[in-house]
This record gives sequence, C-alpha cells and structure tokens, in this order.
Amino acid sequence: MKKKFYPDYLIEILFFAIVTFEIILLLAFLFPPVIGREIDFTSAYQPRPEWYYLWIFWLLRFFSTDMVFIGGIVIPLFIVGFLIFIPWIERYIGWKLTALLGLLFFLIFLIGTLVEVFYQ
Amino acid sequence: MNFIDWFLDRFRLKSAHRGIFEREIPEGINYFYCFGGIAFTAFLLCLISGLFLSLHYVPSEKEAYLSIQRIHEEVYLGKLIRGIHKWSANVLIISIIIHSIRVFITKSYRPPRELNWIVGVIIFFIVMLEGFTGYLLPWDQKAYWATVVGTNIIGSIPFIGESLLLIIRGGYEVTGVTLARFYSFHVLWFPLILAILLWAHFHMIKKLGISKPL
Repeated sequence: MKKKFYPDYLIEILFFAIVTFEIILLLAFLFPPVIGREIDFTSAYQPRPEWYYLWIFWLLRFFSTDMVFIGGIVIPLFIVGFLIFIPWIERYIGWKLTALLGLLFFLIFLIGTLVEVFYQ
Repeated sequence: MNFIDWFLDRFRLKSAHRGIFEREIPEGINYFYCFGGIAFTAFLLCLISGLFLSLHYVPSEKEAYLSIQRIHEEVYLGKLIRGIHKWSANVLIISIIIHSIRVFITKSYRPPRELNWIVGVIIFFIVMLEGFTGYLLPWDQKAYWATVVGTNIIGSIPFIGESLLLIIRGGYEVTGVTLARFYSFHVLWFPLILAILLWAHFHMIKKLGISKPL
C-alpha cells in the first residue's frame, strides 16, 4: 500500500526528531562542555579549531604566511562554488565525472580531518 | 528563459497550494531521506538552547568569560543547556553533510529542484559561519587565538584583505569590539538569514514534492 504523509510519514518524522533529541541529550550528559583557560595575551598560542574546520587547518600547512588565503579562503570558496553549480556541471560532464570530483573534494575534507585528529 | 522567469518557475510561487496532510510521498524512499529532518531538529535545538543561553550570556570583554562561568555554576540547568547547544551544533553539521550526499546520490538536485539545491548549499555555508563566530563567544584562550588565526587568513588576501579584516575585527586587533560584532552575527544576522533560507527550502519542497527515488 502507498504511504501517506498522514499518518505513516508523520509518525516516522516525529520518531526521528525524538531520537535526535535523545542522542543530543545523551551526548550533552556524557561529554559536558568545559570552561577554557583565561586568555593569555602575552604569548601567541596555536589553537585547534572545531573538527569541521580541521581540514582547512590542514590545508593551511601547505602555504607560507602571506599565501595562507589560498588554503583558507580560495580553496574552500572554490568547493562551495563547485557545489552550487553541480546541477549545471552535471549537465555538461555527466553524473559520473561530477561524482568523481565531489568524491575528490570529500576526500580532501576526510584526509585533512583524519590527519589533524590522529597525527598532530 | 531569462533568469527572472527561471527563478519564478523554480520557486513555484504561483502553483496551487496543497495542504500538508495531503502531500504525496513517493514509493521506495529509504531512511537516508531522514537526514534533512534530523538536521532541522538539530537546528531547532540549537535555536532554543541558544535563546536560553542568551538570557545569561554577556557579550563584553570583561563579562563574557565570567558569564560562561555563571552559566556553568549558578544558572539552573545552565551547563546542560550549553551542552545541548554544543552537541546539537555538531549533529547539525554531520546531518547536513549526510543530507547533501544523499541528495547528490539520488540526483535530487536536478531540474526543477536546482534552486533548492543552491539554497541548501548557502544554508550549509552560513551554518559553518555560525560555527566560526560562535567559537569566539566563550572568550577563553582557545576562542581568542582561534579567532586571531582565523581572521589573519582573511587579512592575508591581497588588496582587499586589510579592509575586510578591519570590517570583521572592528579594528586592527581582536578586542571587545570583535566580540560584540561576532555576537551580533551569531545571534542576529546569521539566524535571521537562516530562517529566511530555511523557509524557502521548505516552501520549495512543499511545492515540488519529494523527488522520486531512481
């Protein structure tokens, strides 16, 4: 039988919304937030960003101080531009090539994150 | 078809309204179709916990760090609410990534849904900026230096870098002015933009329906 929005789909939506809330609640209890140290203005400190910025942090290592904008701005914005134009890129080069390019960018994200998490 | 015609057609402002309970659900969709909804749930939790945090947080150089301590130690359930805010932000970003991959693999970005795909990418971008601006607000060692490093990258852009840096930091150094600015972006500008974009995202889903699985 064909599924209807009400009641079949609505029940599933509510189920997943509640499970999401429970997972977040569990994470908040298990790994509570911490208060960081007070700012030490006297000496520069090399901080680590949140995990979703680690791949950019990894890219920065390949550029000298006056060229970091390539790793930190140009490459990320290029990827955002690629994502925005996917519907048109796919029309010209086909789904498989687009998927390959997308996979390449996803691998940059994945490798950068893993390298920063495990090797630094 | 010129740009305005394309926009009006894809945005479907003129098509007939269907009640939400009468919407058709295509056959053969799987549980990966849940991640958009999971992302929205995480967004709502971020919003609600953020509203409660903003009751106690003070965005000033002297008070910011102390108000975080007060949230942890004195405010009723304060530490839990801060935990929910932090973790729902993480769940939000993970579920947006999985949602985008699902949309790409099922080729749901194809016409007539390409405008909705673009809106989704911009939502993802703004959510990342929410993460960046929110990181400074605790005003501790990590937050301060991460913002110094992050905004230095913007400053290294040739020609326009310095002006951009001054706009974002509100001066040459990261100070209380930067904190006030990031606070404004984090709780006013970006959430407002997100609310409008999310409305557009859901409006188009409602008008175009869920894409048929291949």
